[in-house]
Amino acid sequence: MKNIKLYTPPAFRIISTNIAKSGNPLGLKKSDYASWADGLQLPTKGKTILYTGCEYQMTAYIRPLAEVLKRVKFRDTLFSAFSGLQTVGGKIGVDLMRGYTRVASGERETYNRLVRMIALTLKRLGVDFAYLDGELYSGALLYEYGLFDELEEQAKRVVDQFKEAGVSRIIALTPHSAEVFQQVYPRFINNFDFEVVPYISIVAQGLNKLGTELSLPEPLTLTFHDPCHLARALKVTEEPRQVIRAITNLDFREVAFNRELTCCCGAPCETIFPELSELVASSRVEDLSATGAEVAATLCPFCYANLKRGVDLTGKKLRVADLIEIVYQALEVSNARA
Amino acid sequence: MPEPKQIFEEYYDKLLDKAHDENMALGLSRSLKAFREGRALAMERFPHTVELAEEVRRLKEDCIGRMDELVEKATTILEENGAQVHYAKTGDDALKLIGEIVGSGKLLVSGKTLTGEEIGLRHYIEDLGNEYWETDCAQLIQQLRKEKPMHYVYPSLHIRREQVAEILTDLLAREIPPDIPTEIRAIREFLRSKYFKADFGISGCNVMAADTGTIFLLESEGNIRMSTTVPPVHIALVGIEKVVPTLHDAFNVAEVVWRYAGFTVPLYVSLISGPSGTADIECTLIHGSSGPVELHVIFLDNGRSTLAKDPVLKEALRCIKCGACLFECPIFELAAGYYGGHGYFGGLGAILTAYMGGGFDMAAPIAYTCLRCGRCTEICPQSIDLSKLMPELRHRIVNMAKR
Repeated sequence: MKNIKLYTPPAFRIISTNIAKSGNPLGLKKSDYASWADGLQLPTKGKTILYTGCEYQMTAYIRPLAEVLKRVKFRDTLFSAFSGLQTVGGKIGVDLMRGYTRVASGERETYNRLVRMIALTLKRLGVDFAYLDGELYSGALLYEYGLFDELEEQAKRVVDQFKEAGVSRIIALTPHSAEVFQQVYPRFINNFDFEVVPYISIVAQGLNKLGTELSLPEPLTLTFHDPCHLARALKVTEEPRQVIRAITNLDFREVAFNRELTCCCGAPCETIFPELSELVASSRVEDLSATGAEVAATLCPFCYANLKRGVDLTGKKLRVADLIEIVYQALEVSNARA
Repeated sequence: MPEPKQIFEEYYDKLLDKAHDENMALGLSRSLKAFREGRALAMERFPHTVELAEEVRRLKEDCIGRMDELVEKATTILEENGAQVHYAKTGDDALKLIGEIVGSGKLLVSGKTLTGEEIGLRHYIEDLGNEYWETDCAQLIQQLRKEKPMHYVYPSLHIRREQVAEILTDLLAREIPPDIPTEIRAIREFLRSKYFKADFGISGCNVMAADTGTIFLLESEGNIRMSTTVPPVHIALVGIEKVVPTLHDAFNVAEVVWRYAGFTVPLYVSLISGPSGTADIECTLIHGSSGPVELHVIFLDNGRSTLAKDPVLKEALRCIKCGACLFECPIFELAAGYYGGHGYFGGLGAILTAYMGGGFDMAAPIAYTCLRCGRCTEICPQSIDLSKLMPELRHRIVNMAKR
């Protein structure tokens, strides 16, 4: 085998440095990632936690990062100085910062709102949970990139945090964190014996128990994009459909490739090959749009963002939603009735 | 040699360029649709294939740890059958061996061989001063286009009939219309002018039985039959992971390959265990009857033993090259075999490229293209779990970037 020094893309340095320095891939501050919980008075310790992993919260920042990466291509030298959002200097740094500032004023709220809806829905369904103070990112991206040493370090920090807070059950907001806890952590952490549940499974059970007939203010045609890791790695395909069926005036239309044959939204390669990611997104949006549905719902912040991008690029008449938005709205209607 | 970073950039530029090629998109979408329908039909007619695939998965798992033993067993019996057996540790060794057998100024006809692509056989033999023709229609199209194949089973699936007509018009110096039957007849006529003059026939091997030394070759065009029967010398290049214990095992593997490759029924399966021979006169065996006088079998390691020692990535050696995974891959749908190395495609192709055909520098950008979406695993007859293997390969790449 040739003895060569291989190349890895700039995103690797940015993300791994940020995780080591600030606990999450994009250097988000606590005021960025924890604001969704303002006023909810959630305990910071407890057996069951709602684990956001900062993933919904950081999604708004990925697009501007990808735009910068598109411009600098693989010119690593220009970019290596900008691990960490606080760093300013040089043209690209300034652009990057401007991008983030723009994000901060708009998009960011969309994602914080989604996390808040998940929390409120779980509460409405009678689920109690804590939210960790200074929550750390799971390291799913480090696994994705093959940065196992860095992942191991982060996993230890995460597990220490769990133990300190007396956690035994993790309600995971994203398929990525659920997968990495369930299927990867046991390899790096001895006796990783936490129970990990994707939150949609709890919502499905809760709605079933609730027994109330749910409906939206207006009838809606909806299709569902199964996130790859939810459907295939975690094998959660029926729970989202149970949730959808619980809402009576939803006209549900399955997309051609669904459940375990779902097709990727393109997000995984966004920080390495951003243009390719857009093409994959557009192609999936074509599938979803072919159902004729008004709304395509999904259950992963990265799918959500990339499908929205695909809609922008293809100009399709399709609204992308997180399934929680639909559920939340239906519960609101039922609350109003009661 | 280009720098690893330059390889990364050039790969991505080409990938993006091809993903935006409208000709290719149309060719690909026609092929994908036809393939999906074909495979659905094949599986519906022969539903036992799923269970058989599971059996073959266990078999292949077992064989990966026994490659040396199985090759040795096959070698003994092949020599008894009158074949000349060679062992090539590297791709270069294999090229040198074949180059010495062939010499220069000869005419060669070749059935599709993935191992041949892996080591760059055609270019090497041509550079020695020989005429070398691919006889698989799609492979010939790619040869004439001076392009690498795009898929294991369908090398030119991204090319439209209109483009084929142009290539054939050039080749035959007469107008060939963009009509598929006319195009195929033209190719047939061209190849038939070559088979009977050829000095050597080249083939790969879909699977080999160790207990009889039998090479299995699957095809529908008849070109492999012609290439391995008509010329006086047949040279077969066999990856050492292709050998399974028994003839019965080999049949099972073969059936799984053709079914998952989208064929209901295989039109031709050639079984070759030695050069032709006859004992019709005084029961005295003479090699070289109507068929080839010589059969050379070249076993190729080229990184397979190293890969077999990797506790996790060795799973990649279970691949039987049916190419079903590629039809489920969102990136392949956009960029066909440009998402790949010399001869191996898609995410799994990144592993094979790293160890067998190009090295880690060529494999790195392919590895990072994989979305790790796991859709390929759903269809893979060998259940190769790429979403688990890809981080492992990347981990090895990252370690090689850190040093």
